[in-house]
Amino acid sequence: MIMNANRLIVLSKCVQSCQRLLACNVRHAGKKVQQVQQQRLFRTHCRQLAYAKDLFLGSLNKDEVFPYPEIGKEELDEINQLVAPVEKFFSEEVDSAKIDREAKIPEETLKGLKELGLFGLMVPEEYGGLGLSNTMYARLAEITSLDGSIAVTLAAHQAIGLKGILIAGTEAQKQKYLPKLASGEHIAAFCLTEPGSGSDAASIQTRATLSEDGKHYLINGSKIWISNGGMADIMTVFARTEVDVDGVKKDKISAFIVERAFGGITSGKPEDKLGIRGSNTCEVSFDNVPVPVENVIGEVGGGFKIAMNILNSGRFSMGSSSAGMIKKLITMTSEYAATRKQFNKSLSEFGMIQEKFAVMSLNAFIMESMAYLTAGMMDRPGLPDCSLEAAMVKVFSSERAWICVSEALQVLGGLGYTKNYPYERYLRDCRILPIFEGTNEVLRMYIALTGMQYAGKITTWKINEIKKGNVGLAIGMLVKKIMNKFSSSVDLGLTGKDGVVHPSMTESAKMLELNVTHFGWTVETLLYRFGKTIVDEQFALKRVADVLINLYAMTAVLSRASRSITIGLKNNDHEILLTNTFCSEAFFRNNYMIHQLQEHTPGNSDANIKKIAAEVLQDRSYICSHPLERIY
Amino acid sequence: MPEFGVERDLAVYNKLLDVFPKEVFVPRNAVQRMFNHYPRQQECGVQLLEQMEEYGVMPNVETKVLLVQIFGKKAHPIRKYQRMMYWMPKFKHVNPFPVPLQLPEDPVDVARFGLARIANDLDAKVTVYQLPCTDITETGEEITIPHVVGIQSPSQMELLAKHNPNKPVFVEGPFPLWLRQTCVHYYVLRADPPEEKVEEPYDPERSLYYPLRLDVDFGRDLGDEENFDVEDLDEGPVFAMCMTGRGDQATLNQWISGLQENNPMLGQVPTLFRVNAGPQELSASADAESGHAHRPDTETRSEEKLQRDGEPGVIVEEEPQRRQGRNQ
Repeated sequence: MIMNANRLIVLSKCVQSCQRLLACNVRHAGKKVQQVQQQRLFRTHCRQLAYAKDLFLGSLNKDEVFPYPEIGKEELDEINQLVAPVEKFFSEEVDSAKIDREAKIPEETLKGLKELGLFGLMVPEEYGGLGLSNTMYARLAEITSLDGSIAVTLAAHQAIGLKGILIAGTEAQKQKYLPKLASGEHIAAFCLTEPGSGSDAASIQTRATLSEDGKHYLINGSKIWISNGGMADIMTVFARTEVDVDGVKKDKISAFIVERAFGGITSGKPEDKLGIRGSNTCEVSFDNVPVPVENVIGEVGGGFKIAMNILNSGRFSMGSSSAGMIKKLITMTSEYAATRKQFNKSLSEFGMIQEKFAVMSLNAFIMESMAYLTAGMMDRPGLPDCSLEAAMVKVFSSERAWICVSEALQVLGGLGYTKNYPYERYLRDCRILPIFEGTNEVLRMYIALTGMQYAGKITTWKINEIKKGNVGLAIGMLVKKIMNKFSSSVDLGLTGKDGVVHPSMTESAKMLELNVTHFGWTVETLLYRFGKTIVDEQFALKRVADVLINLYAMTAVLSRASRSITIGLKNNDHEILLTNTFCSEAFFRNNYMIHQLQEHTPGNSDANIKKIAAEVLQDRSYICSHPLERIY
Repeated sequence: MPEFGVERDLAVYNKLLDVFPKEVFVPRNAVQRMFNHYPRQQECGVQLLEQMEEYGVMPNVETKVLLVQIFGKKAHPIRKYQRMMYWMPKFKHVNPFPVPLQLPEDPVDVARFGLARIANDLDAKVTVYQLPCTDITETGEEITIPHVVGIQSPSQMELLAKHNPNKPVFVEGPFPLWLRQTCVHYYVLRADPPEEKVEEPYDPERSLYYPLRLDVDFGRDLGDEENFDVEDLDEGPVFAMCMTGRGDQATLNQWISGLQENNPMLGQVPTLFRVNAGPQELSASADAESGHAHRPDTETRSEEKLQRDGEPGVIVEEEPQRRQGRNQ
């Protein structure tokens, strides 16, 4: 934005003063935001820790994502040593078909997993865990995803079940609970959802009342859809507590560590699910469960923030686990496609089948890149907030994984549809991905609104001025917009002399830059049009989220492929090919979505969709007359 | 035809048309064609078709053949027929809330249909609080117990639960509802609109996944303002409706106590009955000729009763009768 301002100052003198004023004030506002965000660092100009949020302003933080995050050689060897036995275990001793059929994970398998240390991957070593970083956790998630039920059991245990104690627990709580949890002796569960409360924390009914002696909280209520609910010994339960806020008694949510040994906890029978049947999901009821006051996580009334932190931190591993599953599927499916012959040609010579394989490998490539990029960003010092990027990885991976597994099943045709092959089990296991850990719809809203909030804070000054009638500013912006419409190339520093992207991907990088700039303008326009009420415009927000996910995906693949070709990894030319293919496809899709976000475009049929939905939902059925109907 | 009840019978209309002699009224040369050949007969044909249209009877191929045989291809009746065949299908389904031709006989079913029609809410539940029956007491008198059918939707129940117990709720009625030829009357339980709109304060810890409100200072742009609505007047919430056979205090009390089972709030809120006398026959009045043109009113305000549950004494207050004379 500042470079654009420079060019305009050279071109037109009449807007010179306005532009200077504009740039100066925006920089000022931007710095204020920076200072608020990064109070831990003491320099005034510091590394911008947010990547995705800045995309909303049309600026690309290339230092965050280029070069692709690497780990040292020793670390890599360490991971490979960890990975080998786990892979062996999964390929030899895990019978996924049996787990699916009996809807239960056998004891020996669980024991094997505990011995491999898979129950305490992120627990620090002093408490008995493996103390792995996010990247290593993502690497191991690639392997555990070979069996969906086991992956979900492990994730429910460590990614959400014991995360609360890990990130917000006191030293005493950690000492007491983490060792047993890390070894797998106790299994953890995360109890937040209730029949009336999925995303709405205000409708949580479970109550925790302080007993008379003030030493215990009594928890009453019930939770549903709790993974590991039947066998968990330690649960993180969220309940309403009465808290004094400025003298007014309010109900706020608090987090408690509840042991099954406290008594009063009953688990219902396991739910009969479509997929991940081996994972134990059931209803858990609490009847006057006494919880000592020391077991409150964080402070009383601070449960909401803890819940949000826990939920936001575990998502990125879905990218690598989906990628692992798809890679295995590609191997199995291509074996079949190469051997099966019809019309004297093997299936792999037919274009439509080739397209399916291309789609599968492309998706696997992108998911991996995004997941490890996010994990790498999270592992950097400075505690960056990568919840937005993690949410994007989750949305992208869950949807693409469903498509890929479906295509793999399609290649096998009728064989894939039978239970003799594992494809239908993969398909069923995969269906839960867009649903749990935050449904994709809700996460799209999160992605779009977080970015809009960030962009709104920075551009609010500008937009307010224009709405107040500051003519000079309005004219300045108008001239800038017209100038920009005529310039078809934008330079954000990805290519060229100091470019971070390898020259073989110059075109894709240019497409990314163009998209980012257009996206920034679109966000500004949307904020101007809707202001506060954009929270209700879900059609627009969905497109914003989709564009942003595509942009992040493009960055991830560009970054990874640049690194590959620069250091000379095997098959880097294939990676370049995948990158260029995806970037051009995403570029056009983004352009179309950005076009749809403009006002009154023919590509945007949102008003019609709203009307159709209103009419159908009013009648709660399909309202058209039957095509065979007559009047006379 | 209505006397015989055949006004919607197409066969009868065709038979009537058959009465006309065929080929007599068909014009045979240019002069006859020019000068409205047999005008009265053509008018008669057109009136028959008019009556068919009035009763919504769609003519038949047989009708067309008859008309062509009787009047020829370019006469007024055939033109009328062509217009009917064009317009009637277009208007057949134009009413989104049609009333069936044959209303059910049972008053409870009529009440159910009428209440569902007024409420127009798929969530609303119709409850029959009392079925009509005739009892004979020991003294040989016949006591008829009227039917009481009420309707309430879950959102109305929530509104009632949130109602301020200091403000009264009113039972008003009876209001007429015409269903084709029958008129039924319904009573409404409503309250006055709240003085100030209480907006729930924004709770930043409400949604676990995304912010429900953005922290920007400005609202929507003028071009996208969609919600100025002239009719957005608040007339006060309506909590429930009912239809009964006899609109007196006892029956309405029964309705309210029936409602109370699901809405415990009704026990604490004062309920005022603002019930009119209901539809009555115009009495053949001897004093109708008084010069002041006071007519015996069919709607007079009866006493308002203040009703609090649990209180044995019923306070009856007479409000000065307000006249609603029509010839003031």
